[in-house]
Amino acid sequence: MAATKASKEQKYDRQLRLWGDHGQEVLENAHVCLINATASGTEILKNLVLPGIGAFTIIDGHTVLGEDVGNNFFLSQNSIGRNRAQAATELLQELNSDVSGNFVEESADQLLDNDPEFFHRFSIVIGVQLSESTRLRLGSVLWAVGVPFLVCWTYGLMGYMRLVVKEHTVIESHPDNALEDLRLDRPFSELTDHIQSYQLESMEKKDHSHTPWIVIIAKFLETWLTEHDGQPPKNYKEKEAFRQMIREGILKKENGVREDEENFEEAVKNVNTALNPTKVPSSVEDLFNSEQCTNITSQSAAFWVMLRAVKEFVLHEGKGCLPARGTIPDMISDSQRFINLQNVYRDKALQDAAAVAKHVESLLQTTGKVLGKNAAFLRVVHCRSLAEEYAVESVNKDEITSCMDSPDSEMVLYLMLRSVDRFYQQHSRYPGVYNYQVEEDISKLKLCVTSLLQEYNLNVSIKDDYIHEFCRYGAAEPHTVAAFLGGAAAQEVIKMVSHQFVPFNNTFIYNAMSQTSATYQL
Amino acid sequence: MVQLVGSLRKEVAESLSTCRVLVVGAGGIGCELLKNLVLTGFKNIEVIDLDIIDVSNLNRQFLFQKKHVGKSKAQVAKESVLQFCPTANITAYHDSIMNPDYNVEFFRNFMLVMNALDNRAARNHVNRMCLAADIPLIESGTAGYLGQVTVIKKGLTECYECQPKPTQKTFPGCTIRNTPSEPIHCIVWAKYLFNQLFGEEDADQEVSPDTADPEASWNPAETEARAMASETDGDIKRVSTKEWARSTGYDPAKLFNKLFKDDIMYLLTMDKLWKKRKAPLPLDWHQLESQGSRRPQGEVKAVGLKDQQVLGVWGYCQLFQHSIETLRSELQEKGDGAELVWDKDDAPALDFVTAAANLRMHIFSMTMKSRFDIKSMAGNIIPAIATTNAIIAGLIVMEGLKVVSGELESCRTIFLNKHPNLRKKLLVPCILDPPCANCYVCASRPEVTVKLNVLKTTVLALQDRILKERFGMVAPDVNIEDGKGTILISSEEGETDANNGKFLSDFGIRNGSRLQSDDFLQDYTLLINVLHAEDLEKDVEFEVVGDAPDKAPPPPSNQEDASSIANGNKDSAQPSTSNVHHPGPFSRLIFAPILIGTPYVLKLSIASMDIGAQLCGHLQVDCWGFRSNPMLPV
Repeated sequence: MAATKASKEQKYDRQLRLWGDHGQEVLENAHVCLINATASGTEILKNLVLPGIGAFTIIDGHTVLGEDVGNNFFLSQNSIGRNRAQAATELLQELNSDVSGNFVEESADQLLDNDPEFFHRFSIVIGVQLSESTRLRLGSVLWAVGVPFLVCWTYGLMGYMRLVVKEHTVIESHPDNALEDLRLDRPFSELTDHIQSYQLESMEKKDHSHTPWIVIIAKFLETWLTEHDGQPPKNYKEKEAFRQMIREGILKKENGVREDEENFEEAVKNVNTALNPTKVPSSVEDLFNSEQCTNITSQSAAFWVMLRAVKEFVLHEGKGCLPARGTIPDMISDSQRFINLQNVYRDKALQDAAAVAKHVESLLQTTGKVLGKNAAFLRVVHCRSLAEEYAVESVNKDEITSCMDSPDSEMVLYLMLRSVDRFYQQHSRYPGVYNYQVEEDISKLKLCVTSLLQEYNLNVSIKDDYIHEFCRYGAAEPHTVAAFLGGAAAQEVIKMVSHQFVPFNNTFIYNAMSQTSATYQL
Repeated sequence: MVQLVGSLRKEVAESLSTCRVLVVGAGGIGCELLKNLVLTGFKNIEVIDLDIIDVSNLNRQFLFQKKHVGKSKAQVAKESVLQFCPTANITAYHDSIMNPDYNVEFFRNFMLVMNALDNRAARNHVNRMCLAADIPLIESGTAGYLGQVTVIKKGLTECYECQPKPTQKTFPGCTIRNTPSEPIHCIVWAKYLFNQLFGEEDADQEVSPDTADPEASWNPAETEARAMASETDGDIKRVSTKEWARSTGYDPAKLFNKLFKDDIMYLLTMDKLWKKRKAPLPLDWHQLESQGSRRPQGEVKAVGLKDQQVLGVWGYCQLFQHSIETLRSELQEKGDGAELVWDKDDAPALDFVTAAANLRMHIFSMTMKSRFDIKSMAGNIIPAIATTNAIIAGLIVMEGLKVVSGELESCRTIFLNKHPNLRKKLLVPCILDPPCANCYVCASRPEVTVKLNVLKTTVLALQDRILKERFGMVAPDVNIEDGKGTILISSEEGETDANNGKFLSDFGIRNGSRLQSDDFLQDYTLLINVLHAEDLEKDVEFEVVGDAPDKAPPPPSNQEDASSIANGNKDSAQPSTSNVHHPGPFSRLIFAPILIGTPYVLKLSIASMDIGAQLCGHLQVDCWGFRSNPMLPV
């Protein structure tokens, strides 16, 4: 066991550095289901098998044809005539012996007819190149039991993804532009003590110009508060006055000119950041007040139990503040004092995390620690169901019409795809699959476009060019577009499975010709 | 193939089967790229890679399996692709693209060159070769979730070197040798130590106390006394570290006591250093041994992966001992005069650095680091995953199709974001910028001004540090524009070796002198204007005038960076790369990967792994005025 763990560590080294060993662990416990082992399907699975997903099951009733082999790396000449799920499973399995590969030689529709509960067991179901009716049926089965459903479709030079999930919780959302958590407005006692240990007035020049800006602001804030009845600088004018106060604190040379003290410059620049009031973000506040958080039952998912623990912390030990994050930004300072200051924050974070862990006592202590540190980054994603998206009464008309103000927006590709669905419903085939059909299908597809727009009462126009283009595509799945979608979709699956990073909500469109992409909430 | 003809114009599909393309690199992007190319219909592909397969490649380089570890990447990639697509015509080279065999003529064989590289030296080189051969180049790179693809065509677009790149971070010698204040200083020291003991000895990688430390400001008498003392002290004689280690038979206890006791005690005598700093605490092997063997090793908490644990001091002593013993026998097996090369993926080599760095950190009162973290920092590891490579390789081939169909004007630079940005775009395509008029590579007469001290700069430093390292030449010839064309450096081996140790001033080079430097292989000539200066900062050998890679980029506006991006895909409205601000330090990702002293990347991504900000580095300004790279993520 120890040996396999070490070899895994080596093999997965480069990704552990992104999502950590706890991320890797949930990945290794996940079981994903792929419907249809087309080029896009196997590309997605490849990108999940390589990083070590626990298990996959391919559902596919097709027999491999020559054209399947032409664009799919995980089918070979020898696969022709065999079941596609089986052939692809064998070749994908070769990529990673840690992964368990399974297959079902049936179509998704057959399974839905005979054993719809079959789908309940998966961490996520990925449906590739599905017809609208299968998509809707499967969508409602999975929606009811809360299994996430990722719809993927490569159509000519466009890629499409749709995430369908009722509720998805994110503990580590890894935001790009998080505000710092410095607590200067509400210093904890250890911080106050630490700040007390600095005496700017009696410092030598070198120390003075290497004092961390956090300390500088804290010192001047102290003075400000005593001069202003305990009220911090609030508006622009007051903050400007406060900045001036800091500037006055810069040492002066004998001739009265200010020294060049970069740390003071930093302090002036960071006044806004530093005075940002410590409060619970409204997104987290909403979560605290949600039904799932207030009513903890034996059925509650770990996320909600831990969230409740954080809430309890805020109400009690935290005195209205979230657990401290324990990190400070980079700044000009000598190493020793930077590290000392950093330790003050870090110790506080550890202390808070321990308090949160106490609240979850019986449940998942280690996860409690992760949650404590990331308390400000909690997110819950709610997607709309496919049924809501497709129903005339709940279609997101505003989004569609506003995007279609620019006729070449990626939205037009979405509308074309929905028209192609309609074409398939009427003709049981996709437009332009054989060259001789292209001409006649153009007018047929045009009719579908018109009826789609009429049904949804959409007052938008679609250029004929797009109709021609989509007929020319002939429902082809070019490998390089499938490869792109394979990377993007697998990344979303990893986000879903690991509960790290925020997944897209809910539609993603890739235009390979212009190399552009867009996400829409539909 | 029926399917493809559907979405590609017929002429394009046909030209794919006849054109010849070169893929440089068969790693993460390279594997994906080869697969995409054959399945898109490219038939004639050549691939070159110098590397062999390592276990840590297997999480994304899907053409390789465990049984291939240790074999040539290019060769195995070729075989794996042929297994799936027997009709492709692939040539594999297990070689460096910088080998002179791959000359301009070689590059002219191709309709398109695609880079899938991981280092700047090779990128610079291929850039020049493609400029010289006038062949379009697609450049790409990934780091974690971020990626970038761009197209380079001589005379039409910026070349890879049109924009200055941030330089790799270096540390002043005295910080490494005398006064480390951050873990990275100890790690660099430990890597130097590895080379001093087992590898190629390099005078710039001294590990012993530096008596010439200006901060210590010795008086000469004291220095001499000290030198005498060390002579008579027996073990601390200033002979080659390697010779000395060999003479002890690589005795771990003796090595330990020299490095972690005697040398530290010696440092303590330089008392000026410790007036403002916490003084280091020497360690003694025998004392630790008697304590260590008495105390059971149960104190290490068995939580998480083994690599992510931090051992105690005695634990690192034992690791130090074991790794030295292993490395010693490896060295012996190789025979006389053999040398080991440090490699982050070689277990004993990493163990040695982990142990030595941690012991030094402990001595200098720093928090010790796990093997996992040390590996990140020592190996400059850039996190890498399959999904990003898949996306980028998909984008490369789309750009490749445009190049092959002669639609260069519709090519784009594409940035891949971590997740859709505020304008809901995962991809940000930008119009290609025209060449930079004063680029020192692709301008019609490339010219630069270099500030250096002609009295102190040797010919060898000019060749190695300036021409090779800074300006990316492989085998430069240099003559002085003094009317006589005096040859300073010749690429013919041995011809000008006698000049190496001499100073530039010995050849009459002074302020305003002009040097012409040619690289025959790259078909590249650079004119260098010498600006003599005596006021360069300590540890700075030279500066290139007018290029300030270490300056922070203008702060990104708080508003969404791409406010200038038109919503749709109207080409004319797309911004050029020069006016788009990308989040974080990656605005020009492919130019950046080797600069990212990895911890900065990690900080963004691993919230829970507790790689504290201590490791991530803060902007440190200490007595030598050294600043770490300011391009930190927010």
